[in-house]
Amino acid sequence: MSIVVLGLSHRSSPVTVREKFAFAEAELPAELKGLRGSGVADEAVILSTCNRVEVYAATQLEPMRAFAALKEFLLRSRGCEEILTEEIYSHCEPLSVQHLFKVACGLDSMVLGETEILGQLKKAYDVALQNGHTGGRLNKAFQKAFNVAKKLRTDTNIQRGSVSVGSVAVELAEKIFTRLSERNVLVIGAGDTSEKTARALLSRGAKSIIVTNRSHEKAVALAGTLGGQAVAFDELAKIFPEIDIAISSTSAPGYVLNRAKLEPLMKLRRNRALLLIDIAVPRDIDPEVNLMENVFLYNIDDLQAMADDYLKQRQEEVARCEEFIRQQAAGLVESARGRSTPGEITPAFGGH
Amino acid sequence: MLLYGVSTLYSVFLWRKGFRRDDHINYLLLLGAFALHTTSMAKRGFDLNHCPVTNLYEATTFATWTIVAVYSVVGLWPRLRFLGAFAAPVLFGVGIFALMPRLDTPGTRSTLPAAWTSAHAALLALSYGAFGLSSVAALMYLSQEHDLKFHKLQAVFSRLPPIQRLDTIAARLLVAGFALLTAGLAIGAFDLGHLENPQAYRLDPKVLWSVVVWLMYLGLILMRWKFAQGGRKFALGAIGSFAFVLLTFWGTNALSLLHHP
Repeated sequence: MSIVVLGLSHRSSPVTVREKFAFAEAELPAELKGLRGSGVADEAVILSTCNRVEVYAATQLEPMRAFAALKEFLLRSRGCEEILTEEIYSHCEPLSVQHLFKVACGLDSMVLGETEILGQLKKAYDVALQNGHTGGRLNKAFQKAFNVAKKLRTDTNIQRGSVSVGSVAVELAEKIFTRLSERNVLVIGAGDTSEKTARALLSRGAKSIIVTNRSHEKAVALAGTLGGQAVAFDELAKIFPEIDIAISSTSAPGYVLNRAKLEPLMKLRRNRALLLIDIAVPRDIDPEVNLMENVFLYNIDDLQAMADDYLKQRQEEVARCEEFIRQQAAGLVESARGRSTPGEITPAFGGH
Repeated sequence: MLLYGVSTLYSVFLWRKGFRRDDHINYLLLLGAFALHTTSMAKRGFDLNHCPVTNLYEATTFATWTIVAVYSVVGLWPRLRFLGAFAAPVLFGVGIFALMPRLDTPGTRSTLPAAWTSAHAALLALSYGAFGLSSVAALMYLSQEHDLKFHKLQAVFSRLPPIQRLDTIAARLLVAGFALLTAGLAIGAFDLGHLENPQAYRLDPKVLWSVVVWLMYLGLILMRWKFAQGGRKFALGAIGSFAFVLLTFWGTNALSLLHHP
């Protein structure tokens, strides 16, 4: 019995095709039962996310026959009559096991190294397990995949850091302030990126959000969606002493905040640390304020550069991760064939 | 000292790597140094039959011992082991200073009550230990603040705590050190009353130096709480003050008739 995988992902097909193949979670037990009942697979797991639909199966059939049967199942199950050739991929051992490990580690994800897929994979496996559609082969393969993902997350930089502007801003805030839960956030302007950044800070526990904008109506609307409070633009100086993080994204032609304005405000704040995030183009905050003590200014390019650096570091780790995955997949496949016992995850990731 | 030196070299490597490497090696090096340091101090204590804080060498080694002892406990939490990369250079530097000539001289405790003299020396050694740790936290603050100011990825990649926490830790250690220093000096002043002519020591270099050090730390504390001068200025003050103590301690002690009768 060997493990095969067949499916389609963001790499092989556009969303217009992928959406036709998506499975609702409630459908999975019945579909898995049908698949196993057809005699194609002894064990099966179906993974369905917005970026991929994949069927993992442990089968007695020859790989080519298994692929044809799985493809037929997928097309019939989703009611698809199109002739798909390039969009659907399939792998047999050991590539199928390597693919599973890569998916678990986020190496095959749209955002390299993202961790959400691991949770989705665990959930898909759990549905199959709870309904009795997995056995020795897939149980071992999936458990190993989770272990490999954990190992690579701990020992490499593949999942470290943030690759979006909003998440980088949150990480910076966490490196400046002891507790985000005690920090007040000010949003100046009502742009999309500033909203996302504010949401990211709120999701990490920021205490409160205050929104101000030249158009008070827009400020009220954004404050409403963020669960914050709107204040008039000319009251900025009055509320500033309470602020710890300010995100600015107005369309003002000149600086909204400069050193002359900020210096007296910092005195009122007793020189507490202040994180300024300037997302506006042209910039809202005079870069000279970064020279002031306890003021940390980042503009959109700074944040994007940091996000890009993170991504670059992740990309540099891909080759090491793939080599590790190859070793682990080979060990698992060999142990299944009875040539050796399943090995622990031994290779060390000492060097960076 | 050898282990403190090796740990310092390894710390340079950790600094260059932005604290991304697992630093259990550094922890083990400092743990080994702590074991040897403790054995050496215990042996001296048993030989002298009293707490080994009677001269400058012993006071200095006691102060460094308090630093490495605190680190040994704190380092049980893997996330805090990076502190060793900052503590090791301080421990090595102060250790080298302790090996300077004329520091390990016997006989300065004989004319005064042993209990008060020991308490005076022990409290001062502990205060210098606290000032040392405070300067370690301040050093971490400056390193992290520099990376944040210059938008280096290392700022978010390193395992250093948030700068606000580092600032608070540096301040609390400095206040604790100041309290210990005040208590130690008060006991010293009380001890002085037991001498035949205490007025003669009013202008003793060590007495004057102690007053300067006390005022310096008081100034730092007042600047912070009264005039909100935290952050980089406070960190520089904590490091500068401790460097002043390290660089002038030996000289003033050598000139002091009170400590070198």
